[in-house]
Amino acid sequence: MLTRALAGEAAAFGMLVRTHQRSVYSLALRMLSDRHEAEDLAQEVFLGLHRNLSSVESPAHLAFWLRRVTLNRAIDRLRREPRQTVPLEDASSLVIDATEQRDPLLQRRLRALLGQLPPAPRAVLLLRYQEDLNPNEIARTLNMSINTVKSHLKRSLATLRERIGDGANPGAGKTELGCLPDEAG
Amino acid sequence: MSNELNDRLRAALRPVDPGERFTQGVLARIAREPPRVPVAAQRAVRRVGLRWLSGALLAILATGFLVAHQWRAQHAQRGEAARQQVMEALRLTSEKLDLAYRVVKDKEHSGA
Amino acid sequence: MNASVKVLSAALLTGWLAVGSATIAAAATPGALQLPNFNGIASKAVQTVDISLDTSLLGMAASFMDSSKPDDAAVKEIIAGLKGVYVRSYTFNGDFQYPEADIDSVRKQLSAPGWQRLVAVHNSPDHSNVDIYICMVQGRASGLAIIASHPRELTIVNIVGSVDLQKLHQLQGKFGIPQMQLPDNKAAGNN
Repeated sequence: MLTRALAGEAAAFGMLVRTHQRSVYSLALRMLSDRHEAEDLAQEVFLGLHRNLSSVESPAHLAFWLRRVTLNRAIDRLRREPRQTVPLEDASSLVIDATEQRDPLLQRRLRALLGQLPPAPRAVLLLRYQEDLNPNEIARTLNMSINTVKSHLKRSLATLRERIGDGANPGAGKTELGCLPDEAG
Repeated sequence: MSNELNDRLRAALRPVDPGERFTQGVLARIAREPPRVPVAAQRAVRRVGLRWLSGALLAILATGFLVAHQWRAQHAQRGEAARQQVMEALRLTSEKLDLAYRVVKDKEHSGA
Repeated sequence: MNASVKVLSAALLTGWLAVGSATIAAAATPGALQLPNFNGIASKAVQTVDISLDTSLLGMAASFMDSSKPDDAAVKEIIAGLKGVYVRSYTFNGDFQYPEADIDSVRKQLSAPGWQRLVAVHNSPDHSNVDIYICMVQGRASGLAIIASHPRELTIVNIVGSVDLQKLHQLQGKFGIPQMQLPDNKAAGNN
């Protein structure tokens, strides 16, 4: 498919887009927390891919390229237009009621909490749990040291674990996490 | 507990499909893009304005693309060969480790 | 010589052998063996496997593996910390067609400081032998060597870098890699 797209077949490039759009769009959505911006960014990424297709060497390189470009552009946008993010240490208000039994709601809250993390640890968590990359691959994708990746993972997971109240104080109250669009269509 | 959080994160972060509308939007934007011609070639044609020069440039570009295509194909072959060698090497390594395990286990069961 | 089951379990199932004071002056490439030219052996073999993958080739191979596929991802993870993978494997159609002297130069290197023999399995009924060595540098494994001999087969493997035997074990059943029958599953933890 990549070879045919490199040869200029429009249908083959369309297949490439369909194959990778879930990953690219989801990364953009969870970084930017805005569906329209995520679509816009994802389209830009694929336009960039079309312009630079000749530099892609293999299917594995393509996946690497798309993840890296998507996250770099998302982080750039977040730096240009800062949104409200909460440093890990100050996330004390983002407590979730641990007795919540409905997984979809908990999933939504997990995503919301993820959206409150600073861009770098957020990107690390997305590559780990959405893209299923190992720390070495995350380090290469984000051009970080492996120790930084592991540190982000450790601290972010510890915070998430604390906020979803694993064995937490049953008296912990609910709080608002902000109104974020439901991802399900 | 940490496995539960891992599972929940994976479930919460399953990729979402933006749909066919998104795909068509991308393709439509690409279709509106001007055809790709290297900037250097554009300038050379404007400056000189000679048909033979643009033809020669196109021929050079075509050769370059062909060479690049061949290089990519060879690179892909080399990469796939390296990948297969890795698999074979790991297969042999694992086979010998397994052999050691089996003998040790047999001895253990026989009380040696 | 019978293998030490405890050493085998601890080292092979956890993947690392913690040694208190096994410190050696680091060689240029710790864990790497100088494999001799086995032309004499190869000329008698009916089947030869000769694999030499340095860091750049391993990187190239990794770039051709698809991280979205669990099998490829598992292999990528194993080779991520490696600096080299070298395999020489010869199969013969007659018994003992390889002189021991050809292997001695490799064994000599494995008696150098830093290399430790994890397992020596000598199976009398079929004359198959497997010696597994690990190279420790400042308490960390930086190389693996296997010499496996059978009357009609000789295999030498040298893996340079941080090889995780447990992850290798997790490749069982994939790509034709045979299942490992672990002697003690209680010690086999997941990473």
